[in-house]
Amino acid sequence: MFATKRLSKMQEHVPPGITIVKCDNLEEWQMDIKILDQNPLYLDQTYRLKFTFSNKYPIEPPEVQFIQCPASTGTPRTIPMHPHIYSNGIICLDLLGSAGWSPVQTVESVCMSLQSMLTANNRNERPPGDQEFIATNRRRIRDINFIYEDDNV
Amino acid sequence: MDQSFELPDSTDWLETPLSLLAPFESSLRCQVCKDFFDNPVITSCSHTFCSLCIRRCLSAEGKCPACRSSDQELKLRRNWAVQELVDAFKLARPSVLDLARRKNVRLARGEEETEEPAQKKRKVQQVEEEELQVPETSSQGRRTRSQRSINSSVVERTVPQIMPEVIEDSQDDEEYMPGDGLVACPICFRKMKEEAVFPHLNVHQQEEELPRKTPTKPASFGSLKGTSQRDLPLPGKQPERLPAINYSILKDNSLRKKLRDLGIPDWGQKQLLQRRHTEWMNLWNANCDSKSPKSKRILLQELDVWERTQGGHAAAPSAFTTSNNVMRKDFDANEWSNNHDDDFKRLIANARKKSEVQVRSTIPGASSSSSPHQEGTGLPVNGARVELNPDTDDHHVVDLSG
Repeated sequence: MFATKRLSKMQEHVPPGITIVKCDNLEEWQMDIKILDQNPLYLDQTYRLKFTFSNKYPIEPPEVQFIQCPASTGTPRTIPMHPHIYSNGIICLDLLGSAGWSPVQTVESVCMSLQSMLTANNRNERPPGDQEFIATNRRRIRDINFIYEDDNV
Repeated sequence: MDQSFELPDSTDWLETPLSLLAPFESSLRCQVCKDFFDNPVITSCSHTFCSLCIRRCLSAEGKCPACRSSDQELKLRRNWAVQELVDAFKLARPSVLDLARRKNVRLARGEEETEEPAQKKRKVQQVEEEELQVPETSSQGRRTRSQRSINSSVVERTVPQIMPEVIEDSQDDEEYMPGDGLVACPICFRKMKEEAVFPHLNVHQQEEELPRKTPTKPASFGSLKGTSQRDLPLPGKQPERLPAINYSILKDNSLRKKLRDLGIPDWGQKQLLQRRHTEWMNLWNANCDSKSPKSKRILLQELDVWERTQGGHAAAPSAFTTSNNVMRKDFDANEWSNNHDDDFKRLIANARKKSEVQVRSTIPGASSSSSPHQEGTGLPVNGARVELNPDTDDHHVVDLSG
């Protein structure tokens, strides 16, 4: 109930490069984001984000990750290359953890943060230990204790 | 959730000639709940939020959501000026927005004001009907049964009733040149420039509030004085406010008794008791910040809503949230295993049966070997664990048993 109203906002006026794909319930939303500048890593690419809201949103952060869509769906989506994005789509970004989250954040603000995180990147690589992480991680995103060691994102 | 209904939002202004009102309106909205400030309070870092929103944030994290500086619930102070701004704006919003939208339609069509007065009137009424529903749908949220939302929706209902007359006025009155920009105040019908209507409406709002304010203010000062002379430890604090409890020094039973004394449900484990008390304290103290506080019965209903959505009765609506609960830090493994004991037993029994079948089917082949018996006794235990996994189709159960 607490979250109902604010999730139903922002129907039409989304920032550039961001589109709402699916928002038919208050548990899970999907958004498409594009990188608007000329960064060759992400040129002409669209990436799909999945937001999962708990009933404590916005006191608690939503779970946010990139998801893949096969080409057969008509909207092929891949996981963007980034030293803080694992190949299963899990994002290591402090504002998505309980320490960095603030209830004033919104779906738009998270999307824009991710856009700028990608824009600023010039390394075509995955985080260290990516293969091991995706093979062994069975935890929920919010329970992973990331260490946010890199401030240059 | 049905999203077809329209929610009033600051972006409503963007398509109108008054698009500059969009940032104005969003500055009258709480950054946490995105709704208009409801009993706004100011933090020690000078940020303003709804009383309930900031109390929930502070009890969860102890930090201001806007700037992350530490703050305490005790330091929150009411922000009357913002409350008055919000009330005045909410009152004026429907008519101003309507005016702006009509202007838009006119601009788009290049119509003159004198054309087709009858048709225009109907259109205006349609717009108003839409807007009439807006306050009702939006008030289905937190404040559904509150005194205030009833009051305000009454006000909003009466305003549009006046509105059609206003339009007839301006259209029938041929002394005024079309497009001269003069409009009538929806309350006193005085003609003025369009931009003057908005500040003018505040005058009405203040007039309306004056009689209401005068009885409440002295009353609260009076009661404050009375108690502070007696036993109130912190001067300037409302006497009815609930103090925070240091839960760690309380045993389960004394906490339970505290809840009972407060008149709120006292069932559940300590973790739940704590969370319920915190929510009750937030609801109660936020209510103390209200100009027209709700009755305890209404607060209890709100606590009940909390109980059903986030508290002990929070249902797990889908497999997703179930697994989420299991992985939560404060997940109560004992309660879970009690609740699902039967399921576990049934699954284990199923698994045993299956493995017995397996054993039997393998025994004919194994009968020639020297130790079929040992294998037979060893298998059900191992088999149970292996079979548990596909049967439950939920790996968390396995996590728990391990």
